[in-house]
Amino acid sequence: MNDRMRIRVTLLRVVVLSLLVTLGARLWVLQILDGDHYRQVAETNRVREVVTPATRGMILDDHGQPLVRNRTSLVISVNRSATDRQTDHGKAVLTRLAGVIGTPADDLLKRIRFCTAQVKPPCWNGSPYQPVPVAKDVSAQQALAVIEHPDRFPGVSADLQAVREYPHGALAAHELGYLAPVTQDQLDKQGDEKGYHLNSLIGVAGLESTYDDELRGADGVQRLEVDRFGRVAGTASTTAPASGDHLVLNLDLGVQQAAEQALQDTINSLGGGARTGSAVVLNARTGGVVAMASLPSYDPSVFVGGVSDADYRALSDPANGIPLLSRVYQGSGAAGSTFKPVSTAVAMANLGAGGDQRFPCSQTLQIGDQVFHNFDGESAGPITLHQALVISCDVIFDQFAYDSWLGDGGLRNGRGPYAPPKEYFVRMAEALGFGRSTGIDLPGEAKGSVVDRADAKAIWEELKDSYCRRAKNGYPEEKDPAKAERFRKYAAEACVDGYLYNAGAATQFAIGQGQYLSVSPLQLANAYAAIANGGTLYRPTLAKAAISPEGKVVQTFQPTKVAALPVSPQILAYIRDSLRGVTSEPGGTATGVFADWPSATIPIAGKTGTAEVEGKGDTSWFASFAPANDPQYVVVVSIPDSGTGAEYAAPVAKRIYQAIYGVGQPAAQPGGRPPAALPKINRDGTIAAATTSAPFQSAGPGGTSSAVTALPTARSTPPNSAGALVPALVTAPTKAAGTETTSTSPAPPALTSRSAPVSTPTSLSVPSRAPPASPPPSAPSRSPP
Amino acid sequence: MNQEAGPTALRSSPVAVRGRIGQLRDRASGRHSPVRRLDWTLQLCVIALSGIGALLVWSATRQRLDEAHGDPQTFLKRHLLNLVIGLLLGAVATVVDYRVIRAYAPFVYLGSLVGLVAVLVLGSTINGAHSWIVLPAGFQLQPSEFAKVALVVGAAMILGEKHEDRHTGIQHSAPGHADVLLVLGLTIVPIGLIMLQPDFGTVMVLVFTVLGMLAVSGAPRRWVLGLVLCGVLFGTAILQFHLLAPYQEARLTSFVSENKAASGTGYNVNQAMIAIANGGIFGRGLLHGQQTQGQFVPEQQTDFVFSVAGEELGYLGAAGIVVLLGVVLWRALSIGFGSQDSFGALIATGVVCWFTFQSFVNIGMCLGIMPVTGLPLPFLSYGGSSMFANMTAVGLLQNVRLRSRSDPYAL
Repeated sequence: MNDRMRIRVTLLRVVVLSLLVTLGARLWVLQILDGDHYRQVAETNRVREVVTPATRGMILDDHGQPLVRNRTSLVISVNRSATDRQTDHGKAVLTRLAGVIGTPADDLLKRIRFCTAQVKPPCWNGSPYQPVPVAKDVSAQQALAVIEHPDRFPGVSADLQAVREYPHGALAAHELGYLAPVTQDQLDKQGDEKGYHLNSLIGVAGLESTYDDELRGADGVQRLEVDRFGRVAGTASTTAPASGDHLVLNLDLGVQQAAEQALQDTINSLGGGARTGSAVVLNARTGGVVAMASLPSYDPSVFVGGVSDADYRALSDPANGIPLLSRVYQGSGAAGSTFKPVSTAVAMANLGAGGDQRFPCSQTLQIGDQVFHNFDGESAGPITLHQALVISCDVIFDQFAYDSWLGDGGLRNGRGPYAPPKEYFVRMAEALGFGRSTGIDLPGEAKGSVVDRADAKAIWEELKDSYCRRAKNGYPEEKDPAKAERFRKYAAEACVDGYLYNAGAATQFAIGQGQYLSVSPLQLANAYAAIANGGTLYRPTLAKAAISPEGKVVQTFQPTKVAALPVSPQILAYIRDSLRGVTSEPGGTATGVFADWPSATIPIAGKTGTAEVEGKGDTSWFASFAPANDPQYVVVVSIPDSGTGAEYAAPVAKRIYQAIYGVGQPAAQPGGRPPAALPKINRDGTIAAATTSAPFQSAGPGGTSSAVTALPTARSTPPNSAGALVPALVTAPTKAAGTETTSTSPAPPALTSRSAPVSTPTSLSVPSRAPPASPPPSAPSRSPP
Repeated sequence: MNQEAGPTALRSSPVAVRGRIGQLRDRASGRHSPVRRLDWTLQLCVIALSGIGALLVWSATRQRLDEAHGDPQTFLKRHLLNLVIGLLLGAVATVVDYRVIRAYAPFVYLGSLVGLVAVLVLGSTINGAHSWIVLPAGFQLQPSEFAKVALVVGAAMILGEKHEDRHTGIQHSAPGHADVLLVLGLTIVPIGLIMLQPDFGTVMVLVFTVLGMLAVSGAPRRWVLGLVLCGVLFGTAILQFHLLAPYQEARLTSFVSENKAASGTGYNVNQAMIAIANGGIFGRGLLHGQQTQGQFVPEQQTDFVFSVAGEELGYLGAAGIVVLLGVVLWRALSIGFGSQDSFGALIATGVVCWFTFQSFVNIGMCLGIMPVTGLPLPFLSYGGSSMFANMTAVGLLQNVRLRSRSDPYAL
């Protein structure tokens, strides 16, 4: 061997050494530097969690009547980790099962597929270790057919699961909301923090969403140690499920029912098309939401066990009026004359108008090239603001707004410089909570809009390009040529001077019209509550308290003050008095509606509104509160595409008041007061009614007898038996090697549980009827040899 | 997974063997006895690695065998038996005279080719490769392992011998073009046969071994560089035109692609990496690795045996194995360095390239930095054929050592 060869061998040495050093370094990185990460992975690799869902808390009305509760459902599930091991991947078993539950075997196969990007529902997106529910609400006979023949149905189980139940169907659906399986994204981001598990159901709409943390409770988790084949080697840890808290609302079942019924009747009488309507009742003194009705509605039970595609499409279809959308807090529009109390406050607080001062309510008002008419086109001569509200004179308020606009420099398109604009009307609207969310404890609230000069300019900056494009190209998609031309003209104007604060719109602002103002019924009700209670703007709140399953009050949701109105109590009193005149004085726009109302005992203050809507019929509004001299409730009703406020909305409001005070029927709010005490929830889950406050002398027939007594709630789930409801299920593999002899049917212990209050036949006492030879079917695991 | 029969390819004259053994025994007591002159560091490291391998194989298979109501120690015993047989084969390879090896080299080579053809005709498919001849009584033979030995000896003979004899023993010239072509010809045949199995990993071992031997032998540089270039082009073409079976391509690309956690090949590597990382510095203790005992790592007693070391023996144990391998390779190159002729140096080079490539690819695969190729880790992975071939190679190294120039009693 020569020297050159020796050099080459030495080089080879270097190569070999460097490769080995590379391995050593990589080993260091993997074992020491990244070790923690991988050890965690090793943990999840080895440990399988079997989740026992916690029983969700109920949602109760102010008297403790359940609006959402749980019922138990017999569910048949297929455990894929067991069926996959069968020689035919469970085909034979599924075919037999299909015969029992009356579903085609193909459907069953589809349901137990694992969802992927390609495989769309029906499919299973949970853990492979979690049994896949394939049939809900099966009969006891069907369940027994499965349980008693573990040999024929290996890997199939029947057990009791708690599912949401809505005893009043579609009632208050928008407020209650619904549940949906947790998404992967939520699981990744909040899974640990919130205790979500694969396939956890979480609130995704309404109160179920807002108070999910309170209602959900903590799932029970059994951590099983398994090997690569998923065979259980032991239990690492077990935590029992803890039931969620019950949520007591300010909402009252009786008032809610009355509101929805009255709206429904009115909509039915209007007929034709997808009609909508909404009504909201607030406690003027706390902001508590006593009722909140929006039509069309839907039965949240369509979401139980997963909403079907067709159902969801129907619920979001505009042709059906988008039932998923609440018109009370998720939609906004022109408020019409119901906004005039706000304008009255501006006139008196900012513009120096006196209560006795008279202003001309002329027939028309000319502003630039626009002519504004009184609604009924009549002149009432010089009248006070009180009378202007009672008869709903537009022109007086128009004039105030126009003067105010002029005072701020009009269009301000001259040389300037201009003093900062005062914009009294806009500021007052903002002070009353318009243009921003009220902060109600529901997700997805609409803010409406209140546009001031700066906003108008900002909006124009954003939209001018599209305006100018439209001015050039027109609206070819619009079928009506006249309409298209009107739109094009508007776009052409907006393109040029859209940044200017429009005199006409600023003027119409005062009467709740025009493009600078859009309000939701909830905002309007909240503003009326502030006027009614003497100037405090509250945060509307549905929830009153959270009560633990043991009956302890965990949390009370106190009224939250948002702001104080910049209006003196005297002015507010003047406005309240004027609004009372609307329902009682001659010429009052709602006097006719309330002619037969016991105004002496329950005086009602209100304001009608008839908002004009482009391309549709008027929106009928009625905003009100009662009793006018000591306001307790605010009622706002809005019915789009109908007619005048007095014609449609006011009668609905009247029916709501009848229900509240018990005029001609039992009172939903005995004594004319929301219940002061919280309902008492007993340890066994039964509910005692909330006691009412001081007795109230109602003038109306029907009296004040409380319709609410202790409710039998045997069907609801006792919190302490929650753990037994949904048994842990890990099926041992069918073809496990070795000593595995345990039957694979994990008959749920719940079926044998005496505490589970299921309204199913008593024949479900499985152990006594099962063949004695079969081992306790609940044994979920094999023990290591 | 069953016991493999001993090699039939490598055989030397019984007479010569008996004679050498007699000589060895006679000299065993002397200060310069060949027994003492053996590289005991190398030998002990190899035995240590094999012993550790036996424990790791035991740990990886015990649970499964137990569940199947088998003897949990089956693989432990078989690995140790393989070791003993391997040591015997190595002893034979050590004592056989150079000249005998040279004389029989063509037969060894042809024998290995016969084995490779036989496997194509008679073989069984395990893990996608048609690499095993199943013998009666549960024995299996993997001829491609013996092809490694045969090729190392054959290439060393051609590259080392010729330019030594040409000018009356003066060693001055490197192998010429004809030698290189001959070596390439000798290489291409077994490679082609192994490709048909297909066993891509072993092909790569042969390619790198021959390449390393060519480079060290001093073959014309353009040949070495040209071959490297060809290899790169060929590799690219294979991936570009999907010449590999889909599972092979998946193995190769899964190591590059991000989705290691996916099922299939990526799953194995991912589980192996989890197991290794789970060991930390000190390891979970032999027989106490959760990943290993839970049988999360497939093929753990063969291709992924290193993950057992990583999890149960920790960084200290796993790095210790790398160090032991390093010592083996270092000693092997020292033997080559001290060899009196090119033949011995090239034998050492070939063995080192072979062991290095297999060790790096195997451990690198377990650590997620090399593709999955199904190569065993020398001495540690379970497998008779592999053990026999490795031990024979070690025996050849000792043979070179005994006859190196610094040895006054060189035969």
